[in-house]
Amino acid sequence: MASTDEELVARSIGGDLDSFNQLVLRWERPIYALAYRVIGREEDARDVCQETFLRAFRALGGFKGQAKFSSWLYRITLNLCRDWIRRERRQPLAQTPEGVDLVELAGEAEDTDSVEELVARKEIGAAVSKAMALLPEEQRTAIVLKEYHGLTFQEIADMLDCPLSTVKTRLYQGLTVLRRQLERSNVTRLKDHHV
Amino acid sequence: MCNQAYKDLLVSYLYDDINDMDRAKVEMHLRACEECRAELDALRDVRVDLGSWSPSLPDLGFRIVRDAKPAPRPSWRAWLTPAAGLAAAATLVVAAALSLAHIEIHNGPDGFTVRTGWSAAGSGVTTDSTGPIRRVFARDQLLPNDQINPAGLAGIAQRVDALEIALRQSPASRSAAVLSARASDEELIKRVRELLARSEMKQQGELVLRIAQVVNAFDAQRKDDLARIQANLTNLQGTVTKEAAAHVDLVNYLTTAGKQK
Repeated sequence: MASTDEELVARSIGGDLDSFNQLVLRWERPIYALAYRVIGREEDARDVCQETFLRAFRALGGFKGQAKFSSWLYRITLNLCRDWIRRERRQPLAQTPEGVDLVELAGEAEDTDSVEELVARKEIGAAVSKAMALLPEEQRTAIVLKEYHGLTFQEIADMLDCPLSTVKTRLYQGLTVLRRQLERSNVTRLKDHHV
Repeated sequence: MCNQAYKDLLVSYLYDDINDMDRAKVEMHLRACEECRAELDALRDVRVDLGSWSPSLPDLGFRIVRDAKPAPRPSWRAWLTPAAGLAAAATLVVAAALSLAHIEIHNGPDGFTVRTGWSAAGSGVTTDSTGPIRRVFARDQLLPNDQINPAGLAGIAQRVDALEIALRQSPASRSAAVLSARASDEELIKRVRELLARSEMKQQGELVLRIAQVVNAFDAQRKDDLARIQANLTNLQGTVTKEAAAHVDLVNYLTTAGKQK
């Protein structure tokens, strides 16, 4: 039976490097995906991901378990992303994944998805990426944490140090902007494939 | 009810992150408000679209590795750096300068000795005012390396300079050893002067001989040149005489021909 995060953290604090590497293996993809969706650049997202685990490893002694380990990692990642945005002084690049998109999407798709739906999914993914890049960082972060990482509003509020209502407002405003942007784009929405 | 507070409730309802009481409140409103129902549907469509944005996950494979290896010792190649080359060059320059200045540094049982000039190692403490200077620092005057400072060294140098000046200005303080050293120096200088005189005489003789050789060579060359010029003049005179005779013959011929016509 796999160890929980808390057990691995406890063993890591005790000096067990393998336990920490198990945590890395478990969380590197979500952390990378979070960084990528916030800053929009693959190489920089990879750097942020690596730096997140390095910082976590160094600061592990100060982790008292007051929050979930994943929330702690997310907080480190978001701080690094914020530093990156401040340092680069630019909006995230709307970078469309190249290459094996269709293959990857086919792997993720359900059996009922047709080729047309896979192509539409790719096009809409690019449109979403562009629309997300237009959002202010706060709205984008709220959407990413809620939509892709399934955090509760309260967890997001705790992570971002802001009131619960602020998180909901940012999310609502962000979704409204996305809706408008996607309606303006010429891509065929996924909902139309299911009609 | 369609104010911002309701919008927040609508978002909570959209994500199903809502308590039962607020859920009932929203559902009751949605049954009555078509605009909010349309907005909720539109936001659900956005969520569907958001699901299609997935980054291509690279092969990350991060691992934290403990660095168990000791720091590598620098190889001999590390010495082949520009800085090391400059340091070596500077050392050679200093060594060459010390050699030229004939500075000797000695740390013996009698103390730390710095000797300048071309004096013999066994000479006295000082010679006369024109002679070389030898500075002797007693061992108890030396500071440990960690206590040496520029101000202290400057003070020692000043004290030595003052001592030298005092020795030069007070003949009475000179020792017998100094006087004997001076006498031997005078004898040496006399011998050197004799050698120099002989050398000068020899050089003068060689110079006279060289000058005579040059004069002779010049004279011989001059004679050769005069003979060559004389021969050329003779040839030239013969040619002119022949041309003059031919000219006279031509004039005579023309005169004769004119008379006949």
